[in-house]
Amino acid sequence: MTPILLTVIQGAVILALAPFATGLVRWCKARLQGRHGASPLLPYVTYATLLRKEMVISPTVSWVFRLAPYAVLASTALVALLLPLTSVDGALSASGDFIVVAGLLALGAVFLVLGGLDPGSAFGGMGASREMTLVALVEPSIIAVFAAFAVTSGSGTVAKMLSVTGMGLLRHPGLLLSLIAFVFVALSENARYPVDNPATHLELTMVHEAMVLEYSGPYLAMLEYASSLKLTLFAILFANIIIPMPLMTVDSGVSAMLMIIASTVFKLCAAMGLLALLESSMAKMRFYRMQEYMTIAFLTALAGLILALA
Amino acid sequence: MTTHDYIDLAGGQVGETRNGLTLAAIAPEKLADACALLSENGLPLSLLYATDDRETDGSFGVHVAFALDEAHGWLMLSAKLPEDAPRYPSVTAKVVAAHWYERYAMDMFGIVAEGHPDPRRLVHHENVPEGTHPLRKDFAWNTKLAHADVPYPMHHVEGEGVYEIPVGPIHAGVIEPGHFRFNVAGERIITLEGKLFFTHKGVEKLLEGKTPTEALPFIERLSGDMSVSNALAFCQAVESIAGCRVPERAEASRSLLCELERVSMHMHDLANIAGNGTGYTVMAANGFRIKERLVRLSAKLFGNRFWRGAIVPGGLAADLKDEALREIALVIKEADAEMRSFLAMCLSSDGERERLETTGVLSREGALALGAKGLPARASGIGRDVRLTHPYAAYAAFRPTLVEERSGDVYARFIARVRELEDSSRLIAELTATMPAGPIRAECHAKDGIALGAVESWRGEILCALRIKSGRIDRCMPRDPSFCNWALFGEIGPGNIVPDFPLCNKSLDLSYSGTDM
Repeated sequence: MTPILLTVIQGAVILALAPFATGLVRWCKARLQGRHGASPLLPYVTYATLLRKEMVISPTVSWVFRLAPYAVLASTALVALLLPLTSVDGALSASGDFIVVAGLLALGAVFLVLGGLDPGSAFGGMGASREMTLVALVEPSIIAVFAAFAVTSGSGTVAKMLSVTGMGLLRHPGLLLSLIAFVFVALSENARYPVDNPATHLELTMVHEAMVLEYSGPYLAMLEYASSLKLTLFAILFANIIIPMPLMTVDSGVSAMLMIIASTVFKLCAAMGLLALLESSMAKMRFYRMQEYMTIAFLTALAGLILALA
Repeated sequence: MTTHDYIDLAGGQVGETRNGLTLAAIAPEKLADACALLSENGLPLSLLYATDDRETDGSFGVHVAFALDEAHGWLMLSAKLPEDAPRYPSVTAKVVAAHWYERYAMDMFGIVAEGHPDPRRLVHHENVPEGTHPLRKDFAWNTKLAHADVPYPMHHVEGEGVYEIPVGPIHAGVIEPGHFRFNVAGERIITLEGKLFFTHKGVEKLLEGKTPTEALPFIERLSGDMSVSNALAFCQAVESIAGCRVPERAEASRSLLCELERVSMHMHDLANIAGNGTGYTVMAANGFRIKERLVRLSAKLFGNRFWRGAIVPGGLAADLKDEALREIALVIKEADAEMRSFLAMCLSSDGERERLETTGVLSREGALALGAKGLPARASGIGRDVRLTHPYAAYAAFRPTLVEERSGDVYARFIARVRELEDSSRLIAELTATMPAGPIRAECHAKDGIALGAVESWRGEILCALRIKSGRIDRCMPRDPSFCNWALFGEIGPGNIVPDFPLCNKSLDLSYSGTDM
């Protein structure tokens, strides 16, 4: 297989799975709460419905509001192509330097914030200010986590970092700390518990939901889809770090490809199951405790980096 | 002090005493001072309402009720204001607990409380023209009002980094309409004010001229989650005027129904606070499921999900047969046991405790000054419960335990509910096991007079002031405890962060509908 083909396959698989991830975590949570839960496939229908709906847009918005959904979705989709999710030899994987990945994630966050601020509504501004607080606190942790992997693996690209994962983690126990920090970061980046409540109906407690409150129709679908996509790629990346299963390379055949796609679905299910368990067993944290959470994340990431450097 | 000592102290003229309600006349200019004196002597100001008596004696009436907890009675001071100049010195200027009542009377009757510290409109929004006073007798209930644009200013703070967040009246969840205005610095709340009365139903107006039997369905629908308590308070007032004795079995059944309503709604609130307020979702899903068992029990026994239609003047509409009592006992036993296991899990979660503790503190002084009622007051160390201070139905025989907490935060209100839930379950078990035999309804012919019906609903003290003339309702003010407790937000909110407001709100769980009659 050619690297281009690998990237195309990875993109197709991840883009196709993303709504399922959101649906699955909701379904698992419902099950854990003792409810029947909606089908995990519901988000596909939801996004399709949103795409066909009319958009109601405030007359006070500028072009930033209209650009934000594209920028957020594009930056997230690009990250999905750069990271080693189903293949390590993709055409773009050599460009997948961790600084680029962190930068792209930040770019998406900034546009989301601008989109929330632009209509000038109270909730958008509130969500935006909260999001910026969180982004500023989480950014150093992301860099420190990936730096630890980079130092250990001797490479700055995320694809090469996977060489020290799986059983490799046992040879570099310091990376376990980085992995813990990664979980903290991933929960915050994806607006999950204990940082944010993805299912809240309380407009005053929202972070992510407050920023997208003014969006409707296709724009909302794009933003929702982007957050599904982000959740999916963080979940699969996390699974790839701990589960030592080979990913697709240029030498893989069709049967290996099918195996790897199946294992990706399995990884996603396992990750979403764990996330649902976590979210069902705790309350959301008070917002002004967030700096403590982020401090723990950063110090853990830093300890991992120091051990990797030692 | 005896009741008469209090009246002497206030400078009033002793009137008749009937079923625990002592009436006293007082000059309008002395009303505020009298209220201040009584309040300083520890009598809680429990109700202030106005009447339009222009047809009978050419005056407007202002009536202030105080609770006489030791004597298990009530004292009502009444002042007559001349119809051409209905003004009197404001009670609120001396007793803060009167502030919403007086603004209410200013809107609804055009009675001016002079020197009121906050004489803004309350019920009337911008669109109601000046000089509209719907509860005056000469205002027809079906009057179509012209659209006006009268200012309705809200509190506003200025300063660097201070901004306003308007929330509602339409919310992201399925709740009643209410507008809240936050002035915040960052996430920290500086001031918080609510604007309610978006769906005024005009119940008070509609009740006038109806017989008690015709009025009852309106009373039951004031606030869906308090049907039993509102109906009971009203029926008690009717029975007090008629002087009829409710049979023992009906009294016990009424207590049973009150406790069933309390259990249902405390379960709902516990699930809502822990589940939706802090995002501990397991509690929400399971708490609501358990509450649903009770709601369905009501549907089975009474054909509706709100325990409606059982209480009528004179007793009960239909007997709760032994079979029904056994079923109630069984459902409550199971539901209580199940709820307790979830509550134990919830309370052992550190994250959950962390969210509830120190959030939304209502100080004892604040609660006293604002005249807080019911559960929020008890959670702030004001140990009053109408079931104990003014025993009604079968509460003299089946005594509830007074639940009191001191810390006044959301956690205290949560724990107070947990404890009341246990106590109510015990009462239900006792009531179903030892229900007295006998008739369930006495003859109750409407007579003329004035009475107060007091019931401790799960939210707090309901006071239903009723005046019947020629067998028909002349004035009825069913005061919901929420009417007194809405103002608590201004006390609880500041100092908290905006994301904790929904939690504070849920811990009070006030009724929009009951306030906005």
